[in-house]
Amino acid sequence: MRKYLEVAKIYMKAQLAWRSDVLFNMILTITKMLFAYLLWGIMFQGKSMIGEFTFHGMLSYYIMSSFLSQLEMSGRVSYEIQDRIRNGTFSKYMIIPIGIEKYFLSMQAGIVMFYFSFQLIASMVWIFILDIQFTFTGNMMSFLCAVMMAILGIIFMVQLNYLLGILTLKYQGISTFLMIKDNLMELVTGSIIPLALFPEAIVKFMRLLPFYYVTYLPSMIFTGKCEEEAVLGVGIILSWCIVIQFVISVIWKKYIRKYDGVGI
Amino acid sequence: MIKNWRVLKEMLRLRFHGIMVFRLDFFGPFFVDGSLFLVQLMAFSAIYANVDTIGNWGEGEMMMYIGTYSLLNAINMTLFFFGINGIPRKVKSGELDLYLSKPISPLFRLSFEQISPGSIPLILMSLCIIGYGMQMTDSTYLEGEILAYCFWIVIMEILYYELEVLIRSISLFIVTTANIEQIEAAGLSLCMKLPGIAFYGMYKLIFYLILPYGIMATLPVQSMIGEMNGKLALYGITVVILFTILTAMVWKQGLKHYNSASS
Repeated sequence: MRKYLEVAKIYMKAQLAWRSDVLFNMILTITKMLFAYLLWGIMFQGKSMIGEFTFHGMLSYYIMSSFLSQLEMSGRVSYEIQDRIRNGTFSKYMIIPIGIEKYFLSMQAGIVMFYFSFQLIASMVWIFILDIQFTFTGNMMSFLCAVMMAILGIIFMVQLNYLLGILTLKYQGISTFLMIKDNLMELVTGSIIPLALFPEAIVKFMRLLPFYYVTYLPSMIFTGKCEEEAVLGVGIILSWCIVIQFVISVIWKKYIRKYDGVGI
Repeated sequence: MIKNWRVLKEMLRLRFHGIMVFRLDFFGPFFVDGSLFLVQLMAFSAIYANVDTIGNWGEGEMMMYIGTYSLLNAINMTLFFFGINGIPRKVKSGELDLYLSKPISPLFRLSFEQISPGSIPLILMSLCIIGYGMQMTDSTYLEGEILAYCFWIVIMEILYYELEVLIRSISLFIVTTANIEQIEAAGLSLCMKLPGIAFYGMYKLIFYLILPYGIMATLPVQSMIGEMNGKLALYGITVVILFTILTAMVWKQGLKHYNSASS
């Protein structure tokens, strides 16, 4: 456990070397917030409710969703694994006395811990600048469930990106697929618009997928909505984490034999 | 002109030769950007299931907007993007020397040497989205309106190209343009989702003049649906002329500032 804590600490410190990246990461939440503010501002003209949202409820959702999705930076895991398998340097991870997947989980934990406070500040600044009457849940149980769900969501995304990364062992080049995945993730995690605005049948289907629980449901619960789904949500995302872990071990055992350490 | 045409043909031949080595990557840009615009279509379909209009634009106009943005992006991806995108790296490594020492405009070669035929299906997909949007508006479009639309597409594609060159020309003056490119990506991402009619006040100043991504797909759609007036047309053309002058100046000054690999 200590070695994984060290990995997390190193990555936390390493972020300090890229100060302009931290600043831009905070500033660039403007894209999501400005999109939400202008789009919903024009749509709420003459309306008090759209779906189950008020204007300020909608902006509160975007604040939370933007905060959680900016913390989820595991996309780099799959690119890193892909690049290293392609150039043969993935061996670096195989010769050190550490679980490779756990290494990436620790790395992500270090990065999330570092960015947490900065993203929190960015969110507060947007609430202040855009003069949002921020809504937040008053239910402690729902709050705790949403926190657990957000943590499990980040773990699931690291697992997913790890799984996609090791598929390079079989498919050699997966960058096109990764970029398509990034585009689709924006929609299915509710980053572009709240999933509640989709037809009921689609929302029901989304509930079966893990992405519903990564940023969408925690954001909704934090802003005081969908609280009845909180406990079940934790169970579902936890189940997905277990399922994907099983898939990872199967894929790893099957394809690691193809790795020859000389690149493609 | 004839020399440039011959060079372009040769670059195209070499490019085909290159991409056929990595056939799986051939249609990569189509699938990546195609999925991006399909996601936009689905998101706006969901929004329009809850509201009737955004400003005074209905779902048809919005589909035309998304299709138009997709078309501008597709033409850009097919012709210039991959070439221009490499400028900062070539400046940093000193590879730009090879372009300056050839008897052809370096910007011409940089712009067209990475033509991506794999993005052509994206142009067709964009035209289908625009056609679908036009059908949804229940209006009949006259030849004049379609010609005006085509005119604005050409004008706005020039603006798109100039903005890309302008941003990457900054690498001739400073060490890294990564953060500026991030701002470009943020502006493009925002304006891809939001038509210009949604901007007001300070936001309009930013996205109509300073980073004019907000007018790129808005003006062609407005010319088609009859929302274009003389003042707006004059404004659009003036912005393009201003950015043409600015881009030419920055590029020329940048080349004077360029010190080979030590830049």
